[in-house]
Amino acid sequence: MAPVIETRGLVKRYDGELAVAGIDLVVESGEIYGLVGPNGAGKTTTMRILATLLAPSAGEARVCGIGVTEDPIEVRRRIGYMPDFYGVYDDLRVWEYLDFFARCYGVTAGRRATMIGELLEIVGLTDKRQAYVETLSRGMRQRLCLAHTLVHDPDLLILDEPASGLDPRARVEMREILRALRDMGKTILVSSHILPELAELCTAVGIIDRGHLLRSGRIGEIERSLRATAVLRIDLLSDVQAAIDWLGTDERVGDVLHIEVEAGDGGARIELPFDGPPDAQAALLRAMIEAGHTVIGFTQATSGLEEIFLKVTGIDEEAVA
Amino acid sequence: MTTATAASSSMRRSRLSEFAAAVLTIMVKELRSRFRGRRAFVVLTIYLAVLALIAYGGYVVVAPSAREQAQFGGSANASATVGYAIFILLSLFQLLLVCFIAPAFTAGAISLEREKQTLDLLVTTPVRPGAIVVGKLFSALAYVGLMILAAIPLSALVLMYGGASVDDIVRQEVVLLVTAVGFGSIGLFFSALMKRTQAATVLTYCAMLAFTIGTVLLFIFWSVLSTRDSANSFGAPRRAPEQLMWVNPAVAMIDVIANTEVGFYGPFSSIVTEILGGQAGVICQGDVCFNDPGGPVPAGGVLQGAVMVDLAACPRNERCLPPDEASGAAIAQPVAAVSGHFWPRFSLTFGLMSLLLTLASMRLVVPAGMRFVFRRHKARTTGATSGDLPIEGIES
Repeated sequence: MAPVIETRGLVKRYDGELAVAGIDLVVESGEIYGLVGPNGAGKTTTMRILATLLAPSAGEARVCGIGVTEDPIEVRRRIGYMPDFYGVYDDLRVWEYLDFFARCYGVTAGRRATMIGELLEIVGLTDKRQAYVETLSRGMRQRLCLAHTLVHDPDLLILDEPASGLDPRARVEMREILRALRDMGKTILVSSHILPELAELCTAVGIIDRGHLLRSGRIGEIERSLRATAVLRIDLLSDVQAAIDWLGTDERVGDVLHIEVEAGDGGARIELPFDGPPDAQAALLRAMIEAGHTVIGFTQATSGLEEIFLKVTGIDEEAVA
Repeated sequence: MTTATAASSSMRRSRLSEFAAAVLTIMVKELRSRFRGRRAFVVLTIYLAVLALIAYGGYVVVAPSAREQAQFGGSANASATVGYAIFILLSLFQLLLVCFIAPAFTAGAISLEREKQTLDLLVTTPVRPGAIVVGKLFSALAYVGLMILAAIPLSALVLMYGGASVDDIVRQEVVLLVTAVGFGSIGLFFSALMKRTQAATVLTYCAMLAFTIGTVLLFIFWSVLSTRDSANSFGAPRRAPEQLMWVNPAVAMIDVIANTEVGFYGPFSSIVTEILGGQAGVICQGDVCFNDPGGPVPAGGVLQGAVMVDLAACPRNERCLPPDEASGAAIAQPVAAVSGHFWPRFSLTFGLMSLLLTLASMRLVVPAGMRFVFRRHKARTTGATSGDLPIEGIES
């Protein structure tokens, strides 16, 4: 079976500027794929291409094996799209709003009646059925918009920053809904500029920056691949410069990222990247001690997801430059 | 072969019904919003109240003189005077109101969705841009149409007094509806073209004024300039092409009213005659000829520009043109041709324009990023079927 999303060499130029610079993205059925990156990284552009709102400048994008520019109408039948910024029709009631979109997808009258109730239950708006959309709070509107993406029971949901602008409680509610949808077997492509928000929800993530997909895969895999270039935190009691010079002779050790001089004696804490697995790290520590350096602390800097993200975008920035 | 034709025709039918369903979807949503609250009903009530007042005002003004006229016999004629006055007032005021109301309903139709960022949600559904545009236009017209239809009983008042026939009222309604469709689609076009509703509204009303007043000014300037043309050695009055007025709803309405006038030189008929080239309009009744719009001219002949019209050759009750160069005889034109010239031409031109503008709007509703995408899959599928056919033939 064809992957739900497949892009190959996807490029989008705006007035000569690259917004998306050749992205190869594959999302298999049933996955929740988180697209993470800073603002302006190309997340929204990628999603708008997949939602058939933009045509790529080069490359191709397929949803369920259908090219987005070849048969956009057929693609639209298979996706539910929630943009990062959107409005609602203020003067409609909540059920009328969902009824309108269900009609747009050609859902039959009988099915519409039961489905609207089901959807309102999923997003927790059952008691707002008769309310005007304009009376809903921001979080409720966000959930209503999410409900509208589900009216035609699509294979794929494309959600652009579904939790942006929500208070912590509404965020939690949104996450619970997405979890419920995952359990229903939907494939979801979700974006955020905050990685931890997605970490526990997603089965896979892609880190995107300046139009490039820097890493893509399961969160564990990405972490493991990054551990190879771990950041070591070494506490030294004295002779810091000598230790740095010694470390500089090892080609697996990168430039010092950070030096924190400790008050009093000549000790310091240094942080530097090291390209090697844990056993190589142990060997390095042994060698350092044998060489007579006064190591009193040797740890791998804890890499939370946020740090992974910063590191990946930072390192590749250097590589690009 | 036959199955293929049947399949394609059923596919076409299903696409058509799909389109109709989508148009209906948009209309239901639009009308739900429009008739929400009291606004729509209040507007309709005010509209009808204003029209009723105008009709009553016309009656109050005309009735005394009509009563006077009735004292000298001919009460039917006097009653017709009242009917005629009401018909004129209702026709012109309704036209005025439609000219201002119809664009207001469509000038924000698409741009408001853009401003409120609801358009992206709508265009990512399978509803085709064509259905969005047609649905928006129809729902706007449904309301304007309701206003026009609701005023028919007022127009029918005229039938009680006489002075205008059912035919005239039908023509009046046609002109009103065509005007509503025309200006509605202009509003929709600008709404689809511009990002901001404000800009779309300004442009729509500018276009409306250009069609109603601009064409008249252009016509006058053109006529004056071509009359003053140095090549025109006789200084004979010349007219701008009458086609300019085919897009003017006011002229179409005047043309409709002209049909109700008694005699050949009522104010509305003479406007129509003037546009059609009044210099050639000589009306002869028996021995007396009138050089429209002037008074009686001496028997025997009348100077038309540089050409003499032989009145002896001009039949009774006919409008005569300068003689045909070949035969030398005056060309006779039936008087009835004076009215009924503009309103059908207006309806056709305006209808065609609406159609083109609607088609253009459909193009503009497609997301900007997808507008010029070449749809490759069509070419590919047709290529595949034609490639498959011979193999099947060999096997069977």
